[in-house]
Amino acid sequence: MDELKVIEIKKSIYESNDVEAAKLKKDMKDKHVFLLNLMSSPGSGKTTTLVKTIEELKSEMRIGVMEADIDSDVDARTILKTGVKAIQIHTGGMCHLDAPMTKEGIENLGIEDLDMAILENVGNLVCPAEFDTGATKNAMILSVPEGDDKPLKYPLMFEIADVLLINKIDVIDIFDFDIDVIKKRAKRLNPDIKIFPISARTGEGIKEWTDWLRSEVKFVKESN
Amino acid sequence: MHEVTILVELVKMVEEAAKENNVASIDTVIIQIGQLSSIVPRYMREYYPNTTEGTILEGSKLKIEMIPGNGLCHHCDKVFNVAKNKGKCPICGADDWELLSGREFNLKEIVVTENKS
Ligand SMILES: Nc1nc2c(ncn2[C@@H]2O[C@H](COP(=O)(O)OP(=O)(O)O)[C@@H](O)[C@H]2O)c(=O)[nH]1
Ligand SMILES: [Mg+2]
Ligand SMILES: [Zn+2]
Ligand SMILES: [Zn+2]
Repeated sequence: MDELKVIEIKKSIYESNDVEAAKLKKDMKDKHVFLLNLMSSPGSGKTTTLVKTIEELKSEMRIGVMEADIDSDVDARTILKTGVKAIQIHTGGMCHLDAPMTKEGIENLGIEDLDMAILENVGNLVCPAEFDTGATKNAMILSVPEGDDKPLKYPLMFEIADVLLINKIDVIDIFDFDIDVIKKRAKRLNPDIKIFPISARTGEGIKEWTDWLRSEVKFVKESN
Repeated sequence: MHEVTILVELVKMVEEAAKENNVASIDTVIIQIGQLSSIVPRYMREYYPNTTEGTILEGSKLKIEMIPGNGLCHHCDKVFNVAKNKGKCPICGADDWELLSGREFNLKEIVVTENKS
């Protein structure tokens, strides 16, 4: 019988992803392209918000979109109609994107001619928060029908998000949703988080959100 | 599904460690999962045999140690289990606390036989 030996490793599974994410982040910075990672539950309005965002910004910057939400090209086709370039990342039913997959998406999209690349992440508030994609900034959407208790249930997502978009405020009157409560709960987890209440349907709040995006893109463009 | 993604990553990490350490065969893989991470131990065990098939991990045992989700209360300095107490300090009722542990996913140790040299 061979002798058994214990080898101590003590390594986090997130470690290699974090290394890849840091590389991608630096690479994007060097190329002066802003990469936005957009996350939410399914149906919160990622695709609809992207369409409104692109319509607002496409005349002044070059945008490309990577769709990973569901493994069909429906969302990618919706984005293509706005006239910007878009690709579908085939995730094979995966529940999150990691940095190597994002890098592959970036290579397929081609970013040499872009100012901003956007990743529509898989619809899920849990594990996309655990896997850094290497994006310049993380944005999350919480829609009014989902309820204002979500920061209590998915704290990590609120902690890693740079921006919280509260979508579907056009229907706020028919839901028991308190904007002040959600702001307080989100800020407690993440004091620096930027919060924009929006309606991707009516366009309310889109200007404030795109003003923020515009200044971030400009910052990356002009940094060296 | 999430667990399969995680297992694929785990297999890579173990393969790497095996290469570095001149390992002949793997008897047991010992991992640590935080109580508040998105990983369900039951699914890890269920998918382990399939995901390790055809690798050096095939046939090995998976041992899981749980790490409790502990919070430190900012008001009374008490350490408490976050999940059990629904996110509120059980002593003073404050919900102003910081997480000390519970989100880990670590490859802790592997039990192996070595190649004879
Ligand atoms: N009332 C309302 N509906 C919206 C809004 N934004 C999106 N929706 C609807 O919500 C559904 C899901 O939107 P979609 O953009 O596909 O969500 P995704 O799964 O996060 O990409 C669609 O039926 C949209 O028309 C909004 O601001 N207000
Ligand atoms: Mg979508
Ligand atoms: Zn996942
Ligand atoms: Zn306390």
